[in-house]
Parts: sequence; C-alpha cells; structure tokens
Amino acid sequence: MSNIEIRDLVKRYGTVEALHAINIKIEPGEFAVLVGPSGCGKSTTLRMVAGLETISGGEIVIGDRVVNGLRPKERGIAMVFQNYALYPSKTVYQNMAFSLKLSRVPKDVIDQKVRAVAEILELTELLERKPGALSGGQRQRVAMGRAIVRDPKVFLFDEPLSNLDAKLRGQMRVEIKRLHQRLKNTIIYVTHDQVEAMTLADRIVVMRDGHIEQQGTPDEIFHDPASEFVAGFMGSPAMNLVKATAGADAITIGDTSIPWALPASISNGDTLTFGLRPEDIRPAIDASEVSTRLTVTLELIEQLGTEKLIYFTVGGHSFVGKAEGRADLRVGQSIEVAFDMVHAYGFSPNSGARLR
Amino acid sequence: MAMEAQGQGPNFSTRGASLFQAIRDNSAGATPYLFLLPCLVILGALLGVPLYKVVEYSLFDNVIIKPDPIFVGLDNYSNLLSDSGFWSALLNTGIFTIGSVLGHLVVGMSLAMMVNADIHPRARTIFRSLLILPWIFTAAVVALNWQLLLNPFGVINYWLGAAGIINEPLDWLGDANLAMWSLLLISTWRGYPFIMVSFLSGLQSVPRELYEAAEIDGANFFHKFWHVTVPQLKPVIYGVVLLDLIWTFQLFPLVWLTTGGGPGRVTEVLSTLTYRLAFVDFQFSQAATAAVSILVISAAFTILYLRNETRNK
Ligand SMILES: Nc1ncnc2c1ncn2[C@@H]1O[C@H](COP(=O)(O)OP(=O)(O)OP(=O)(O)O)[C@@H](O)[C@H]1O
Ligand SMILES: [Mg+2]
Repeated sequence: MSNIEIRDLVKRYGTVEALHAINIKIEPGEFAVLVGPSGCGKSTTLRMVAGLETISGGEIVIGDRVVNGLRPKERGIAMVFQNYALYPSKTVYQNMAFSLKLSRVPKDVIDQKVRAVAEILELTELLERKPGALSGGQRQRVAMGRAIVRDPKVFLFDEPLSNLDAKLRGQMRVEIKRLHQRLKNTIIYVTHDQVEAMTLADRIVVMRDGHIEQQGTPDEIFHDPASEFVAGFMGSPAMNLVKATAGADAITIGDTSIPWALPASISNGDTLTFGLRPEDIRPAIDASEVSTRLTVTLELIEQLGTEKLIYFTVGGHSFVGKAEGRADLRVGQSIEVAFDMVHAYGFSPNSGARLR
Repeated sequence: MAMEAQGQGPNFSTRGASLFQAIRDNSAGATPYLFLLPCLVILGALLGVPLYKVVEYSLFDNVIIKPDPIFVGLDNYSNLLSDSGFWSALLNTGIFTIGSVLGHLVVGMSLAMMVNADIHPRARTIFRSLLILPWIFTAAVVALNWQLLLNPFGVINYWLGAAGIINEPLDWLGDANLAMWSLLLISTWRGYPFIMVSFLSGLQSVPRELYEAAEIDGANFFHKFWHVTVPQLKPVIYGVVLLDLIWTFQLFPLVWLTTGGGPGRVTEVLSTLTYRLAFVDFQFSQAATAAVSILVISAAFTILYLRNETRNK
C-alpha cells in the first residue's frame, strides 16, 4: 500500500507534447481508473509510472520516494498488460515465479507463494500448462497472478480486459474488484470503457488530449460532470446534448420551450449546450409529478430487456429516453414523455465548461 | 477416363480439348504434378545422374584413368576408412564446421541485436546494408581479399605491429598453429550475414510487451536475452543452424582459395581432400568414395532439417 503523486507530468515525443503537465494524487489503497478516448495519453501516463517510458518533465512519487530515476523493478510496482505478455515458453508456474527467481528468493518460499496465489485465482490445476494452452480468461488470471506474487506496493493495469468477450469481461471485473478488497493495494487501472471505470473505481480520472478533464469519485464524475466532454463520455447511452437558447426560467430547443430553473451563470438570451441523461427522460406514466411533460412521436425503439430505449425528436433535435422493458410501445406512437429538469445540465457552447 | 470416352473421334482438336478436359477434371489430383514434371525431369537429370555416377565410381577401381575399370565392391571404402588422411580431414571438417557455425551464431546474433536497437531509422538501414556486404561477394573475391589482408606484408600485420601487439609479422595462413584460426575468422566474416538477417526478422516479431514485462519482473539485459529472446527465436535458431551446418560442412572454395588445405594438411577438410584426390592425385575412384562420405553426412543433417521444418508447419 502506497500513495502515488503525479506532479506536473509532461511527456514529449520529439516536438509533440503528448501529456501536458498533469496532476493526480492517489491515496494509499485507492483504486484509481484513468479513462478517456483512444490516444488521450492514458497508457503513456501509466507507462511513465511503471518506468517503461522516460519522463520529459515533472515528478512521480510512489510512497515517499521520487521515482523518476528508478528502474521499473526498483519502483515496487507490478503491471498487467493488455495482451497479457506471458512468457510463452514458460509454464504458468514459471511465469508466476520468474520475478521471485530473479530476486533470488529461496525455492521453497517461491513455491509457497506461487501456490498460495494460484489458489486465490483458481489456477492450481493449470500450473504446469504453457500459456498457449490457456483460454483468454485464464491467461488474464495468470497475468494477474504474476503481478500479485510479487506483493507490489502498486498494481498497474493497462486495459486488461479489452481482449475478453463481454460476459467474461463482466466476470473478471468482479474478480478484480474482489481482489482489491482482499489485497487493498493501490491500483492504477487504464480503460476506455466507462462501465469498467464506474464499477471499479474509487477515483476516476477522465483524460482527453493529454490533459485531465476531471477527477473525482464515480458519483461526482457521473452526476456532477465538469464539462460537456465528461458528461458525454460517461454513461450509456450518452447524455442528450443539444444546442439551446436560454429564456426566462426556460430554455428553447428549436421551436419548443421547456421550463427550467436556470443555473446562476446562465442569463436570458444566452446560447448553451443543454444536457439531460436518457435516464431522466421517461414516459410520463413512470415519472414523478414535478417533471416537465412533452408529447412526442416515437421514431425508434431499442429493446434491451430490462429497459427500452426510445428515440424521438424535440425542436429538430434527436433525443433518447428510457422506458420500462415491459412498456407497451410502438414506433409511430404518440406518447407523453417527462423531462426531469432537476437533473438537467448547461454547458458553454464554446469551451464546453459546465455552467452552474 | 474423359480421354478414353472422347478419344474415338481421332480429330486433333477434340483430342486436344479432351486432354485439357482431363487436366481440369483432375484439378485436385494430377495437375500440380503435371506442371512440376519438366522441372522434375531436369532436376532428376542434373542431380540424379551425377549422383548415381559418383556412387558407381566409388565401387570401381581406376575409373576415367583406365578404359576398363574393375568392380571392387567396398574396397575403396575400406581404403578410405584406413587412411589417416581421411580421419584428420574429417576431424578438421568437424572443427571448421562447428567453429564457423559458432562464429556465425555469435557474431550474427550480436549484430542482429545491435542493428535492431532503437536508433535512427536511416542509420539502421545503412548499418544493415553494410553488414550484409560480406555475403554478396563471391568466394574468390573474399579469399583474395583476406589473403592480401593476412599476408605477412599485409595491412593486418602492419596494424598489429604498429599497435605493438606483435613484434614481427605473422604468416596467418601459412603458420600451422594459426591457419585454422585464420580460416575460421574468414569463414565467420563471410557467413554471419545469413544468421544476422534471419535473426533480425525473428527479433522484430518478438512482442515488445514481453521485454517490458521482463523488465518489470526485474530482468537485466542477459535475463531478457536468455528468457525472452532465445525462446522466441528458438525455431529460427534451430533451422538456421542446421542449414548453416549443411552449407559449411561441404564448403570448398573458401578453404581451397585461402589455405588450400595447408600448410601441410593442417586445414585439409573433406571437400579439399576430395578435390585433391581427384584433380591432383587423379584417384577418381577414391575421390568418389570421399564424396559419398560427404554426401552421407550432409544427408543426415538435411533429414534433421527437413524434419524440423515439417514439425514447425
Ligand atoms: N512512441 C511514440 N511516439 C510518438 N507518439 C506517441 C508514441 N506513443 C504514443 N504516442 C502518442 O501519444 C498519445 C497518447 O498515446 P497513449 O498510448 O498514451 O494513448 P491511450 O490513451 O493509451 O490510447 P488507447 O486507448 O488507444 O490505448 C497519442 O496521441 C499517441 O499518438
Ligand atoms: Mg493505451
């Protein structure tokens, strides 16, 4: 268990700056998830913490040591790679024992540790197999086993589940969460999957184009997004984001006016990006009294089982809402939907910053 | 069958058509062999006939020299096996072959790893091209070059003398104690590019994540080499080493044109022994016998190589 502090971290590739002075502070035992679209610099950050990538500027502190000059093995970290990076010529046992063997740990101690970890990860039966004879999920567990055996202060994961199918990904997610509850190590976990980020993290760091867009607990990130980007990135389906004009205690979307208690920084006549999550748009019968009701025509319905996604147009803009999975709805039907405006957001149309 | 059925109308054009028909009907079976046929015939004539002749010669006495050679069975073989010259040539061949292949491996692999390092792409291309050069020259040019370099009055002696490493010029190729070493130096220089090139493509296919994982596991340069590079290159290494063994084992021009098997018989290998028996001593039958011995040993390596290749499929 160690805290991690990243101070003004910069990465340059030649003349291109890939990371612009980012700052992250992770408490001991915290599960931090770096999330963001492809190319935003998540892996680069993680690999700099691991010591696989040189640091162009700033400092990384693990525990109470600045680790900038330390080699990977001196940093007390273990890493799980996206493609597992298991040694193909070694058995599962040898893969897990390799780092201990290199640090000249006595054979019987190695054996004891490897078997203990194999027990936790249900790998005991597979110890003599080579990675080539394992399924994707089993390889994933071996990769984690290899990391755990070293008893590191910090775990680093780079998209560890992205090569697994959806069902297995869900299972492994739970396993990783359990493992964290049991081992209580500090973890930095990189993913572009916002569901993984939401479910695993104590702290989410949303990155974009080499800087940090917002960091906070999953609740903060989801319910109190700092920008249009964060609001649109987290949540599935994505938040409805449309151009609108502010009126007196209302906004106008196209030709439709919707009553809304404007946030303080928005005044009459401003243009803004209006945001409302699909969860907050429901058929009126399911909704509470306070919501605003509009009559719309259903254009498309997606049945997800537990719920239906309903698509319709308001003021020339397409919207998505959510209905009960059992709701009796048909395309072309005209229904009343309720906009729960208490949970609506406004964003600056230029900077994308949240208007509060 | 198609041919038989249609062959009743002895009209040329329908016969032609039916032939094509037959080929087409058999597309999965005989067609590939039909296309291979000319090649097989030529290869058979060029390889099979001489091969047969050599084996035949080795069973007769005084072939070519005398008009009526006599069949002597395996006499030539027992002569060869009781000849100390043959055994010393066999030993030299072993030393030369293993020494050369080891030299190729060490130099080729080291250079492959150096050239594969993260350097400027243009520098890398230049290094690669330069390092492949020894492979391009014909053996005669290589031999002549090294003879000049290693000559008692050559550049190498001059440099070593100027650097104070040797007091008087050495006859690298003419000194019985140095000749085999010099030969191995030349052979290594000549042969490493093949190994280097093969390993380079192998090295490039090793996933970078493996090295990174090893680094995090605490591996140093040698650990990474031993635990990641070597296992990943193992199939390549095995195949390339066997090929190199086969080639080096029967290598003739480089040895003949540098030391000529001398001084005395110090660097005599099976190939030069065979040549000497045939074209210096005019004992063609005995030469054929020596040639068959090379053939048998080479064939053994080749079978190993082919077996490895099919296993890798
Ligand atoms: N070796 C390199 N040379 C030049 N630019 C690089 C190099 N490695 C990464 N980059 C650039 O740095 C930026 C961040 O890359 P990084 O790999 O950290 O993205 P990522 O957030 O992990 O994306 P993904 O989700 O696709 O893995 C990208 O724009 C990428 O093009
Ligand atoms: Mg990445």
